[in-house]
Amino acid sequence: MIKKMNEKNTTSYELLFGPAHPGSGNFSVRLRVDGEQVTSARADPGYLHRGFEKLMEYRDRMQNSILSDRVCVFEALNWNLVHAEAVDELTGEEIPEKARYIRVLMAELSRIQSHLIWYGATSMGIGFDTGFKIAFGYRDYILDLFELVTGGRVYPAGYICPGGVRRDLPDSAKDKIIHVLGKTREMLRKCESFEKTTLRHRTKGVGILNRGDALRLGATGPIARASGISSDVRFDDPYEIYPELDFEIPTRDEGDAYARCIVGREEIQESIRIVEQVLERMPEKKLEPIKPKLANKIPEGEVYVRNEIARGEAGVYMKSVGEETPYRCKIRGPSLLHMVPVLEHLLKGSQIADVPAIYWSLNICPADMDR
Amino acid sequence: MNELDLIDDFDLEFGVNAEKQRDRRVWVTVDREALMDVGRFLFDKGFEHLSAISVTDYLDEGVYELTYHLWSYSDNFLVTVKTKISRNKPAIDSVTPIWGESAQIHERELHELFGVTFEGNTDLAPLFLEDWDGPPPFRKDFDWRKYVKENYYDKENEREKHYFI
Repeated sequence: MIKKMNEKNTTSYELLFGPAHPGSGNFSVRLRVDGEQVTSARADPGYLHRGFEKLMEYRDRMQNSILSDRVCVFEALNWNLVHAEAVDELTGEEIPEKARYIRVLMAELSRIQSHLIWYGATSMGIGFDTGFKIAFGYRDYILDLFELVTGGRVYPAGYICPGGVRRDLPDSAKDKIIHVLGKTREMLRKCESFEKTTLRHRTKGVGILNRGDALRLGATGPIARASGISSDVRFDDPYEIYPELDFEIPTRDEGDAYARCIVGREEIQESIRIVEQVLERMPEKKLEPIKPKLANKIPEGEVYVRNEIARGEAGVYMKSVGEETPYRCKIRGPSLLHMVPVLEHLLKGSQIADVPAIYWSLNICPADMDR
Repeated sequence: MNELDLIDDFDLEFGVNAEKQRDRRVWVTVDREALMDVGRFLFDKGFEHLSAISVTDYLDEGVYELTYHLWSYSDNFLVTVKTKISRNKPAIDSVTPIWGESAQIHERELHELFGVTFEGNTDLAPLFLEDWDGPPPFRKDFDWRKYVKENYYDKENEREKHYFI
């Protein structure tokens, strides 16, 4: 996929990075290169556009909660939670205490596995194969937990749904989660000792996003935090039981790809802490399963709900006119901002060899960008 | 500054009634002519993060309602600015001079999906849809089932003919 730009200037080319590139994931960037240097980049999204916002206007809340899985493959449970919260705020329904704990528990486990994918994909992109294999290997332990609790390894089929969660945790879940957390800690220790060999050299000082640019380009989540913006929706705009929990927001000032990797790894550690606290405080009482009701109208109103998902800020604007289906549901994914303005900005002027490091350090997900 | 201070400021500066929906949520409706002034006023107050822009299509009233969700990193609350424009010839000033590239990409998306023209936005090229020649697909009067049937299904095809019964 190389096109020569100018017959006279033989070093000037247009390169297509993706969509068939391993790991680029249904997304491509057109790079104009001069020799080894990228002179401009143009993102080309749309390979995964499924029109969820429109689809949701035709479906009721339980159907939409299943649909919300698909917004992002890598963190289905987090998107379940955003959607469920928007509906809950409109209906004003009281969520059982235990369901709130389970929601946060699942959202944090989902964050850990999403960060592991990020770590794995970044490692793969820069030729650090050990990191890739370790991250994806250990991620499987968390997928086992998802299978145990929700029935699905990747898609939970709307496990976190309006009104709570579909069913209670199985009795064996608590011990298994503690076991998996131990495994994840072990993995982090391994990664820390390995990454000095490759990861650090390939990402240090690459793709620097300074604080002002991060604000202007709309970066959120770990990308903004690696550029010195200390903001986390769980902290600033708290939801569910987050105000009761004790955790920190890892922040760094360098703004380069290495800082983003480190923020991601530290966030896994914080998520492990949150999961442990949640398990400790979770009420013992058994939870009744949710039974979907027919003709369940959503009261009139409009809300905007924000959540912190692994990639950044997720938002749902929901407008209801008193029908079973929402009148309008706008989904705000973090990747749209990270993959178009931020990526184009960082790639401009970089070296071809650094493109994968910059690309994967942004923790991108084409699915939540295109929706 | 908290939510109530901002509501007072809105009353003083623009004479509009803002409303506190709950903690950390303020909603305000303004005229389309005042949008840029309100935008600059809010940006100067610290609402530097444009979380999202959305369009809601009210078919019966013949209007599009635009909602701008703005977050302040310093005061930690969200303001939603709503404004209405005509549905027949939807056009409004772009907020890119205020929020830069982050506004630009949201506007580009809405231009494609709802057909709203953002005057002053220099890049409104197609984003998600490829070779699209139909009407803006997220409009309420766009019947996607009919469109798909007409354009992609074949009556003669054994596997697809039941869509036409």
